[in-house]
Amino acid sequence: MQTESVTHEFNSSKQKAFGFRDVAWALFVIVGSYLAWNQYGSLMDIYEDAILAGAAIGLIWLGRMWPSFQPLTVVVALLSVLAIYTYQAHGDVITANEQAFFLKYLISSQSAIMWMNALFILAMVAYFLALYQKSEFTGKVATSMVWSASAFGLIGMMVRWRESYIINMDYGHIPVSSLYEVFILFVVMTALIYLYYEQKYKTRTLGGFVMLVIAAAVGFILWYTFDREAHVIQPLVPALKSWWMKIHVPANFIGYGTFSIAAMVGLAYLITAKVAEKNPDSTFVKRMPSLELMDDVMYKNIALGFAFFTIATVLGAMWAAEAWGGYWSWDPKETWALIVWLNYAAWLHIRMSKGWRGKPMAWWALIGLLITTFAFLGVNMFLSGLHSYGEL
Amino acid sequence: MNLAVTLLVMLSIASVIGTVLQQNQTFQDYIIKFGPFWADVFNSLGLYHVYGAAWFVLVLVFLLLSTSVCVTRNTPTFLKDIKQFSEKLSVNALKHQPNHATFESTNSQQTEIERAQALLKTNGYKTKVHHKDDGGVTVAGLKGRWNRLGYFFTHISIIVICVGALLDSNLLLKYRELTGDLIPETRTVSLDKVEQTAWMGPENLSFRGSVNVPEGQKTDVLFLPYENGYLVQKLPFSIDVKDFRIEYYDTGMPKSYESDLILTDPELDEPIVKTIAVNHPLYYKNYAIYQSSFGDGGSILNLDVHPLLSPIENVMPLETAVNKVEPLKTPIGKFRVEINDFRLFNMVPTTEEEKAQTGKKFHNNGPSIIFKVRNEQGKAWEYENYMMPSLQEDRWFFMTGVRTINSEPFRYLFIPADANKTKTRFFQFLALVNNPVETSKILRDAFPKTEQITDKTYELQIKLMQQLMNLFRAKGFEGITEFVNKNVPEKEREQVAEYYFSQSSFALQSLYLTILQKEGVKLAADQDISDFDKIWFEDALNAFNGLSRYGPPMYFELKSFKQIQATGLQITKSPGKDVVYFGSAMLIIGVFFLFYVRQKRIWIHIQANDENENNDSVEITVAGKDNKPLPETEIEFNELVKQIQQPTHNPTKTA
Ligand code: HEM
Repeated sequence: MQTESVTHEFNSSKQKAFGFRDVAWALFVIVGSYLAWNQYGSLMDIYEDAILAGAAIGLIWLGRMWPSFQPLTVVVALLSVLAIYTYQAHGDVITANEQAFFLKYLISSQSAIMWMNALFILAMVAYFLALYQKSEFTGKVATSMVWSASAFGLIGMMVRWRESYIINMDYGHIPVSSLYEVFILFVVMTALIYLYYEQKYKTRTLGGFVMLVIAAAVGFILWYTFDREAHVIQPLVPALKSWWMKIHVPANFIGYGTFSIAAMVGLAYLITAKVAEKNPDSTFVKRMPSLELMDDVMYKNIALGFAFFTIATVLGAMWAAEAWGGYWSWDPKETWALIVWLNYAAWLHIRMSKGWRGKPMAWWALIGLLITTFAFLGVNMFLSGLHSYGEL
Repeated sequence: MNLAVTLLVMLSIASVIGTVLQQNQTFQDYIIKFGPFWADVFNSLGLYHVYGAAWFVLVLVFLLLSTSVCVTRNTPTFLKDIKQFSEKLSVNALKHQPNHATFESTNSQQTEIERAQALLKTNGYKTKVHHKDDGGVTVAGLKGRWNRLGYFFTHISIIVICVGALLDSNLLLKYRELTGDLIPETRTVSLDKVEQTAWMGPENLSFRGSVNVPEGQKTDVLFLPYENGYLVQKLPFSIDVKDFRIEYYDTGMPKSYESDLILTDPELDEPIVKTIAVNHPLYYKNYAIYQSSFGDGGSILNLDVHPLLSPIENVMPLETAVNKVEPLKTPIGKFRVEINDFRLFNMVPTTEEEKAQTGKKFHNNGPSIIFKVRNEQGKAWEYENYMMPSLQEDRWFFMTGVRTINSEPFRYLFIPADANKTKTRFFQFLALVNNPVETSKILRDAFPKTEQITDKTYELQIKLMQQLMNLFRAKGFEGITEFVNKNVPEKEREQVAEYYFSQSSFALQSLYLTILQKEGVKLAADQDISDFDKIWFEDALNAFNGLSRYGPPMYFELKSFKQIQATGLQITKSPGKDVVYFGSAMLIIGVFFLFYVRQKRIWIHIQANDENENNDSVEITVAGKDNKPLPETEIEFNELVKQIQQPTHNPTKTA
């Protein structure tokens, strides 16, 4: 039959082959997850087993969709295992991070996080330098710095997870429970999502702008570490001891990460548009991506973030129902999550229904970041304090 | 649409107010904060209970209505859009689509139709073929119709969630309050004194309240906070609290707490026995019972009240319990003692030395009680007294903190422990200093009259020492300084003060020696007292010195206790919960359809070329449209066009 042969003609040009690399990747993830389960399964409940399985499936999918994620995973896994092994070789005491060379200078959670901080700052400088010099090479250096910083951040989190158990079995928990810990999650998430779009749109010019947010967060981490000693691992309050935390918090931070990227792309948009108004032929305008592309990146990020933020909020409500006895209590954090959600719902509405594009949306994305920041930080700083008042 | 955005904005503003303005405080607090006028205005706007205010609920209802209207209005067009392939569009119309291309092909019309269908199918389109009267054929493709479902899902989910939220709201209570059926209780009284109008029966659709139940007791009521007071909710079942347990981290933070419950319901053949903990509630019918807090359930305390001004040791035992109020009649007036709390553990950070020794970061300072003493004028002093001595700079002290303003930290008085780690010596010494008769006797013994001075001078000297003791007891060393400043001309002050201090020291030392002798401490005439006793003396004087700022002159010593804990339960009846969850699931699915499924249309029109009958050539017009155009739309369209063109095709026009 002719139709079949034509179908065949189109098929061959369309299908993506499931090659050797994909199989190897899937095997790597499955074996790795199994080993982790074998080692720590006794500490996990049925939900956590399910989360591990889900994470493995998600990782296989993510690695196939975005192959660059594979080497990152391998490096993070190997170095984390090395750190855990080094601790074990030193008798599983936390003070090993002062003795063992590897731990002390590279991959104890505190060192890894410091490396991450330094690399992110350097990456920002390199991105702007690349933009200024129009240097392909500098741009590549910047990109590889962001990759390394993300790897260090992830290693820092994995090792911190283990360290919390080493300090005291009772303290052990996934490091997404304190403001310090989620800040690390935030910078890593933002960096990774940015890297994805950098590859997809083949432009490094937005890197410096995105790194602005990340550098600000790094500044906060440093202040928080040195001034407040927030990096010290604390035990969990009973309400946080739940498997819900393992999915609720990361989902939230995909949202925060994408909203930040959208805001920074919005900033790049506004600057480019301003310069183009005065001098359409300026080299800066030529180096930057087209306004349409930036508009699109903004939309893609907000759409992705909105989806995950929706999930995170719903999961949060379900967790609240289990821990606090009500799925919605108008607690300040909850309420501000709703405000953030409503804000981006309105953003998407105006874009989709009224077809608004460009400048006003860029401004809005930028203001959206202020609202998001307040929900993320401001609530902790200003509002929760109101509740801890003593009553006589 | 504009209404929708307005409503969303109103919701946001209300939410902001609710987080910035502290909710559900007492009206008194608001008056202090805003003044009577604004406090009143804000109150009538419902700003102290924003999320329960009538206007807030009204906004929700409007949101529900407007979204419903929007969905019903859009449904017919959207349904048509989902089903329609628009295959009958004219060639001219196709050329007016956002993306289109026209080119020629040498294949037969039939071949091209098959190719077009195959191409669209492999790209995931559903196709429909339409033969036009003029011999042209249109292959219309449609993909991603789920996108439209995304619109329905998200918007219907908003309706569903609102309905669920309204089911769980206190709309019914508001209505009953309006009709005068319901008046919240604002007094703190025992259950049987709560007005009938503040009671709610099991017919109440939804509620969320809490109750503290001491171990070994049971409850079948619940307290619902409502406006400026509370309501009492009768439960259709009763809950026995068999046991409450709490575990701590080594930092003294609670690690976990749990209660053993027995739920009895006439409808149940057998009571339900379950242990609940934080994050692990008990679900029963549409009720849920949560472990939400813990506290003291009326621990029984045996106290000794030491009068601090009495010339003899005159301890008054007081048997009481946490949450009790005890009237106290004393020679210096009537007081009320309010026992507020009992704490079994008090974890405090260890010093560096101790950490090095024990390896522990925190240590337990032992049990403490928190209570208030209120005088007849209503002024209150709050105290925190520890039962056991704690180590401070190598010495053992009984700590007792006092404050009169609750936002201030406690100021501590350190009562030095004697060699047996008790307060016995301290209170003996204090009573002696308070006793003018004994004091005078001892001073006369210690400073016998000598030949050189007259009787009159001697009496004056003894009297001076006694007066100094009085001043010291009343206001500490400061009292002596004050006295000097008031009564001595400036020139001589320094000299006099020095003399007075040395005289007081002599007097106190003499009294102290008497105490030591009574205890049986042997003192050879030429021998000094031990270092411990020396330092103890200084610590005791420090403590005496602080007594003047200690409030009413009484010290409450915790002798023994029997701890009774209470579990804080939160009980909800929430018929809307599953509705809300269902709506949320719809919302999530809808959002993904909306953003990650794109609805796209492609038309491929194949027209035989009449003029050139000898060769089979056909003219192909391709058009495409996304219902939400994105930059990749055009790229994908051009890719598609490239695929359908074979090398033999020569494009005439591409847009
Ligand atoms: C998850 C959040 C939401 C998303 C993603 C969303 C998405 C959309 C989209 C795509 C449209 C345009 C339909 C079209 O023309 O193709 C729309 C219209 C509309 N939406 Fe939403 N929406 C959301 C939440 C809400 C909420 C909370 C309201 C509350 C009032 C609302 C009310 C409306 C109204 C009134 C319209 C206009 C319908 C009309 O003009 O006939 N939406 N929405």
